[in-house]
Amino acid sequence: MESFIKQGSDPKEHVTREPQTGHAAAQNNHARQAMLRSIREHLEASAPFDKVHAEGHAPQNSVRASGQITRTAVEAPAELFRQALEAVNGKCTIVTNETEAATSLRQAIELYQLKRIAVSDSPTIRHLLQQAGGNVTILEDAEAKTLFDCDAGVTGAQWGIAETGTLVLESKDERHRLVSLVPPVHIGIIPAGQIRRTMAEVLEAVSREGDLSRALTFITGPSRTSDIELTLAIGVHGPGKLHVIVIQEVEPTV
Amino acid sequence: MKVSLFVTCLVDQLWPSIGVSAATVLQRAGCEVVFDERQTCCGQPAFNTGYRDEARALARRFIEIFEGAEADAIVSPSGSCTAMVHHFRDLFGADEAWRHRAEAIAARTHEFGSFLVNVLGVDNLGASFRGRVAWHDACHGLRELNVHSEPRRLIRNVRGVELVELDNADSCCGFGGTFSVKYPEISVAILDNKIQAIEKAAVRAIVSSDASCLMQIGGRLTRNGSAVKPMHLAELLAAREAEAETF
Amino acid sequence: MNPELPEPAKAYGPAEVFDQNARRALVDPQLRSALRHLAVTFGQKRAQAISSVDDWEGLRERARAIKDQTLAQLDKYLEQFADNAARAGAQIHWAHDGHDVCRLIVQLLQERGATRVVKSKSMATEEIHLNAALEAAGIDTVETDLGEWIIQLARETPSHIVVPAIHKSKRQIAELFVAKLGIAPTDDVDKLTGAARRVLRQRFAEADAGISGVNFGVAETGSVLILENEGNIRLTTSLPKIHIALMGIEKVIPRLADLDVFLKLLPRSGTGQRLTAYQSVITGTRKSAADEGPEEVHIILMDNGRSRMLRNPVTRQSLACIRCGACLNACPVYQQIGGHAYGSVYPGPIGAVITPQLIGIGKASQLPYASSLCGACREVCPVKIDIPELLLHLRAQIAEGTALGQGQVEVPVKRKPLESFVFRLYAWAWSRPTLYEWGGRVLRLLQRPAVRDGRIGKIGGVMGKLMPPLGAWTAWRDARPLAPRSFRELWREGKVPPVSQPADSPRIATR
Repeated sequence: MESFIKQGSDPKEHVTREPQTGHAAAQNNHARQAMLRSIREHLEASAPFDKVHAEGHAPQNSVRASGQITRTAVEAPAELFRQALEAVNGKCTIVTNETEAATSLRQAIELYQLKRIAVSDSPTIRHLLQQAGGNVTILEDAEAKTLFDCDAGVTGAQWGIAETGTLVLESKDERHRLVSLVPPVHIGIIPAGQIRRTMAEVLEAVSREGDLSRALTFITGPSRTSDIELTLAIGVHGPGKLHVIVIQEVEPTV
Repeated sequence: MKVSLFVTCLVDQLWPSIGVSAATVLQRAGCEVVFDERQTCCGQPAFNTGYRDEARALARRFIEIFEGAEADAIVSPSGSCTAMVHHFRDLFGADEAWRHRAEAIAARTHEFGSFLVNVLGVDNLGASFRGRVAWHDACHGLRELNVHSEPRRLIRNVRGVELVELDNADSCCGFGGTFSVKYPEISVAILDNKIQAIEKAAVRAIVSSDASCLMQIGGRLTRNGSAVKPMHLAELLAAREAEAETF
Repeated sequence: MNPELPEPAKAYGPAEVFDQNARRALVDPQLRSALRHLAVTFGQKRAQAISSVDDWEGLRERARAIKDQTLAQLDKYLEQFADNAARAGAQIHWAHDGHDVCRLIVQLLQERGATRVVKSKSMATEEIHLNAALEAAGIDTVETDLGEWIIQLARETPSHIVVPAIHKSKRQIAELFVAKLGIAPTDDVDKLTGAARRVLRQRFAEADAGISGVNFGVAETGSVLILENEGNIRLTTSLPKIHIALMGIEKVIPRLADLDVFLKLLPRSGTGQRLTAYQSVITGTRKSAADEGPEEVHIILMDNGRSRMLRNPVTRQSLACIRCGACLNACPVYQQIGGHAYGSVYPGPIGAVITPQLIGIGKASQLPYASSLCGACREVCPVKIDIPELLLHLRAQIAEGTALGQGQVEVPVKRKPLESFVFRLYAWAWSRPTLYEWGGRVLRLLQRPAVRDGRIGKIGGVMGKLMPPLGAWTAWRDARPLAPRSFRELWREGKVPPVSQPADSPRIATR
């Protein structure tokens, strides 16, 4: 399998249409100034009333710490993650190492009767998929068009959130935005060490070093809707099946 | 403890037995009850319909009458009117002096049931009333004054009573002041949910702390030919059926 | 319930005819059944979801504090947001009102030769009737949220902020799909959903542009967060070459970390979930052409009447709304009449307060009165908006004839001279105890012919028309007559004597 070199961190390759020039830009700037002015004006007009109103509406309690979600925080994050994900129609297996992960992946392939599997650009994930074997066609670097004809997409995930069973995908680390979305089955593979307990921790982690991914995707279970008579239907536009394999490495990296 | 009774115009004119019962119960609880005849209305109808000038005039009058009261507390058998008094400050905007007077009055004005339990520390008035009753949480009392457990506690101590919880006890009865006649169809549609819950509970009486709710509920009950009795908390707590029977 | 009410008509009118709309809604049995189902289901789900948080009240306070802080310096945070988003490659557009937005979007699309558009659910786009503008410009636009697509196929408007097609039964939806998509008749929700998936996937694959809303704009990073359950937002914002996001200016929040608070509150309040299936946090455009994602990301910052709400602390809280829909679900009025009766894009309690502010009080003067002021909305609002306070504020403006909106052409508020007179008379007379008492005595006399068996029954005919409130009350409820002796008369007559405690009378009990 060829190693994949991630392209595109060169800012010069930034491709967009030129932002509006000339007249349009001036008009937009004018609108900007006008709107900001309007806001300031209205805020000033409100000032005489603000103090009195605030007095009459003093908050009952002082601002407290964010609400804890997981009360029994005794279990390991991976186990909490599994419980939370399965509570929202996701499937989750926790395995000890990569070999077991490959086996689990193979089982998933058989369970969902997968034939054409798209994979992200992660070398680790591609390796696991190769290891898993099975009579499948693996599509690497698949175009969007092709993804519509795939049975499943296999990707890694950069973070997990235990309290909600959420996978967090970072576009700066892996190319998995569409692979995790278009095919009807998504298999996500994550090291246990990347699972944090809370959303707050992950929000902090993704913005560390000030280099936020351009697209962050949070995935909690399969796609769903209750738009028809509030009856739950699983699998609308996103994958109807989400299967997560958590690998408990001996020494969590990172 | 000396209590100045803020009886409310609704009770005064339309349901005086609530006032009589409230005074009686307060006395039985050890208070000396006084009634200032200058009082009329707290102005809630005007405030709720948007007529703030009119509401302000009545609020000023209320404040002037009651702030001089030589009483330890002002007590009212109406959650919504008590809540109105607590909202007086909103009528005075930038007028600091009146705002402070409004706040002072509000601090001394209590809803009847809440006063008994939270201020007097009383939850048994020696009342007796036979049968199943259900409690309707009037919206202002519940959501603005946080009155919820007190009436239930008081009712449970009435000898002979079996208190049952209504389905959705805390849902609105649909009165809402002028709403009840501006949008009567909606008001009655909301009311009918409450009536349904009351009928399901199969009670002898439906009890609440607001005469307005009781009129809304009672009016539909009698129109339906129902024998369920609308009763104010004060009336229930003043009842002494067991003793009456001994005569 | 009432045989005299009219037959339900097909279409509902605008907010000005709310009373007619409401009467129509009340005789629609299928609608009432759907609303009952909504009230029960969402009530239970929300209660369950809240129990999974230790300090729900604390969360609400924090959320409101964040919103208050932001709104107090909205200009600063908007600028920060715009600059950060632009730095990451997004193109920021500032639009004063809905017309500007529609014009801008049509222009953007036409310049790029985009003729096929996929849309994800955005109440802001409903507010400005974007779909009509796109249609008029010959741009093929399909809604991709299932509920919104159903509405689009039926050529209706949404009746709920979160579940747009809640007023439709499964059968009605099935019939719609059979008629418009040619599927075989079915009763199965999964089959209906499957049909939607099949048809819409084709549209995603072919779309030139995707249009979305924005749930939160993060000033600190210039990111937009959009949440969903279906996956259509992810597809809309990642497949087509162009992504246009419409963002009301009130959607900005200061920091990425603040999202944690709102992500705990919004799903629980809106759908009773701990978290929706997907959140997309999009910052600018992709870093290079080799990356996934649209080539262009446009964020349109829209005012459309919002900045004016900053003018007063009472109205400013309107801008704290995170569009969860919890107030609709809890409202006894909404539960009876549904969303279309409000005749406005935003229904329910929040609709009753923002619609008059957005389109002018004169065009929606009934809405602030369409409430019993029960406060259930305030209780469930995740950002603690005091909707009853807002309703009363608007009522005061209507009663006093003060129009909102300096510098905006307004439909004048309809005056109510009779009502105004009655309340002035009431305040004047009831400031005078003698008049108050004598008024009561006179009424007691006048009511005599109407009192039977201790109550006043139906007052119809001429009397009912002369005293509409009495007619309206007694059409369905008996009225309580004025008592033969008022409380103060009884007091004066010594009928409320001081009680001397008999020794054995049970009295004060333990606390």
